[in-house]
Amino acid sequence: MEQLLQMAKKVCDKAEVYSIEYTDNSVFFKNAGLDDMDSKFQSGISLRIIKNGKLGFAYTRNLTNRQGLLQNALDSLEGGVEADYDFPLTRELPQLDTYDSSLENLSGKVLVEECARVCDLLRSKTDGEISKMVSFTHTENIRIMNSEGTDSSAKSTEYGMFGNLTYPGAGFGIWRVFESKSFERMPESMVNEMIELYKISSKVVESKGGKMKVMFVPNSMITLTWRILSGTSSKSVYEKTSPITDRIGKKIFDEKITIYDDPLNDRYPKARSFDDEGVECRPFTIVENGQLKGFYCDLDYASKANVQPTGHGYRTTRWGGDPITLKPVPFLTHMIIKPGDKSFAEMVKSMEKGIIVEGALGYHSGNIPNGDYSIGVCPGLYVEKGEIVGRVSDAMIAGNIYETLKHVVAVGDTLHPCHDGAWVPAILCDDVSVATKK
Amino acid sequence: MFEKLRKILDKVEADYADVRHEIKKETVISFNGKELTQIGSNSTDGYVARVLKDGGMSSVVFTKENDAEKAVLAVSANARLIAESIEAPVRLARSEAVKDTFLPALKEDPRKVPIIEKLELVRKYNDIPLAHERIATTSISYEEVIREKYFVSSEGAEVREDLVTTRLLGEIISKDGNLAQNVRVRAGGSNGFSTIRNQDEYFEGQTAIVLDLLKAKPVEGGAHNCILNPSLAGVFTHEAFGHYSEADLIKGLPAMREKMKIGGKLGSDVLNIIDNPTLPNQLGFYKYDDEGVRARPTQLMKNGVLTGRMHSRRTAAEFGEPISGHCVAEDYRFPPIIRMGTIFIEPGTHSFEELTDMLEDGLYILDAKGGATSGESFTFGAQYGYMVKGGKIAQMVRDINISGNLYQTLKDITAVGNDLVLSKVGGCGKGPVMQSNIRSCSGGPHILVNNLVIGGA
Repeated sequence: MEQLLQMAKKVCDKAEVYSIEYTDNSVFFKNAGLDDMDSKFQSGISLRIIKNGKLGFAYTRNLTNRQGLLQNALDSLEGGVEADYDFPLTRELPQLDTYDSSLENLSGKVLVEECARVCDLLRSKTDGEISKMVSFTHTENIRIMNSEGTDSSAKSTEYGMFGNLTYPGAGFGIWRVFESKSFERMPESMVNEMIELYKISSKVVESKGGKMKVMFVPNSMITLTWRILSGTSSKSVYEKTSPITDRIGKKIFDEKITIYDDPLNDRYPKARSFDDEGVECRPFTIVENGQLKGFYCDLDYASKANVQPTGHGYRTTRWGGDPITLKPVPFLTHMIIKPGDKSFAEMVKSMEKGIIVEGALGYHSGNIPNGDYSIGVCPGLYVEKGEIVGRVSDAMIAGNIYETLKHVVAVGDTLHPCHDGAWVPAILCDDVSVATKK
Repeated sequence: MFEKLRKILDKVEADYADVRHEIKKETVISFNGKELTQIGSNSTDGYVARVLKDGGMSSVVFTKENDAEKAVLAVSANARLIAESIEAPVRLARSEAVKDTFLPALKEDPRKVPIIEKLELVRKYNDIPLAHERIATTSISYEEVIREKYFVSSEGAEVREDLVTTRLLGEIISKDGNLAQNVRVRAGGSNGFSTIRNQDEYFEGQTAIVLDLLKAKPVEGGAHNCILNPSLAGVFTHEAFGHYSEADLIKGLPAMREKMKIGGKLGSDVLNIIDNPTLPNQLGFYKYDDEGVRARPTQLMKNGVLTGRMHSRRTAAEFGEPISGHCVAEDYRFPPIIRMGTIFIEPGTHSFEELTDMLEDGLYILDAKGGATSGESFTFGAQYGYMVKGGKIAQMVRDINISGNLYQTLKDITAVGNDLVLSKVGGCGKGPVMQSNIRSCSGGPHILVNNLVIGGA
């Protein structure tokens, strides 16, 4: 890496070398039985150079030909991609507790036994099909060097488990995700919650559409977080596609909603002290008590908006992707919606009539920049007089987050992992449109 | 290359093993609005090895040649562990050990088109919407993915196949006050750079649609009878039906597998569905899958009766059904999983006018905007639509998302048009370790479906 950087510095104004090495081990159960295991050993190097205000970009899996990689980046300069920013000099980063060496050497047998244990528990207490159960370990080494003198590296581990307790014949059901930096058994409370929810939602009930209370739980919260991510990105502001461009300091959501990004919180896996551009990470408030506080940005969009970078340049897309092949873009990887004071049971009790969205289908489609959503509930638990009475079929929930999140009745008191590294509580909203066949 | 792969295979002690090496060459040119944000061509490579030993089967991915030994040890240990714990030992259905090299015939090889020429072409298309005042921005990319695949197996297979995919994709966003609307753009294919040329008219058409959407009415939520255009018919076929014709998905769901029994009458009499990766010049084309199995057409439904399923060698043996050549990986970072090739409802007899007459009052909805499925439930979006009154196309509507039940909807397809259009750009994510298939091709004729639930706004 050092050699490549030296070579690049000789022919360019600025240069950055990003390297990543990662190992994955996964165990897959299907229909409550061991089905597959796989391992992955991957690595790669990505080079960004800036010369005369233009960006060059190249990547490779194996650094066998440094000159070739550099030439590739030099060739791409000819396209004329503007780069009116500097790479940062980052030093003295906080030390985060992100790595557990025991996870790196965890035997596949332990993963198999944990899946089998949870399958047995679920099977012994329900008639559900355990369509999928996955456990995995992930170890990652990232290093970023640049021509300003930054040389930052981070090592992290992640253990995760996913289980789906499926209604026979329906093909979907109640699922839970468990994530940790180290190997831990899926908590009994989580397994019991799956069992309870499965049992009370096994019956299909008819429901009439209309406006009603709807609870978004962590499994369906991506419906809202995806649109929040879109609306509060400096890229959307720059491109004039965010509907809240001029709302800084103004109320956009109910005052019960506070959203921030907390990359330094190493209680959860994937904590980071620097982003994929080497910019120091720090907590960043997006919405406080309903008021819009800021737009997150990477180096490029910070420069375009003439503001300081917020440390949100990540090599990812909405669907993940291969980090070495991707240029950094503004992204929130550690979003937290601040928990409220209501338990799940209290929130259910307060619903005269409504739907709990345990899973959302189609959260990725529709007019996302505008904040619109229209999702199939999969499953949607139907509540009448404060009790879950079953699950609804063929129901759709539709709205716009800038309306829906103005009608927040309560925010749950517990954080759960959601997509994209977010941790969120359940949120109960009123006056949400539900369409059904009736 | 084959010799190098054989050396890796020689390190494996197994009942069966295979190794795939891929060189993946990617060219990307991206615009956000007027601004060029990325341009360049790069090449990466990696290996996938699979081992079957004593009924346990496992796979390993590695990107450094030097890691081959470590990878072989890991995959062999995992296969052993599976063999100890699995209830039914894994077997592979018999398949001919093919020795072949297949390089697709291209109408203009993209490798021979200079990148600057590609840049100017994409810039020209991107400028078409941007010339309009109410277009807020665009996000348009040209992506070229060339997979050079080398596959060897312990049974003696040696297959080299190239997959060349070119695609233009992105969206155009219009804005009026606080109202923003978007429409997707999609062009490309599997048979050369010619699929990217002459798209001016298409870009003009998509621009007109997204500008019209600013004046369109939000659709009313509730149940509607609908005509789906070929793009949406394709997404329904792919999302709702296709995924549950993939044997690896259905095998974890015993009750659903029972419902999806071959010979079962699941759809209306008018419904014939096929997956055919061998259709030449289509996006979903390939000759061999990533197990070295020759691809073949698979009739999935005939007159509403389930007649076939898509398989890997492993699931074909498990289900006791014929191999189909549908086991495909995204690239060298993944072991192969069961994937659709080119799936579509076969054309029927009705003209579009006959379909609108049959519909009388309802909706005509067009062009896919994302879809998802979970068991018998599916949801997908349409980019725009029109109300149909008395058999006549009336006002444009927006914000259309549909939800339904697979089994009910298969029965509610009451008429099938006589046209056929297949998709030019694909992108299907399938987990649990998410793999995207950019060659996923779907389509169909116009179809008439009763009683679809639409979310509304």
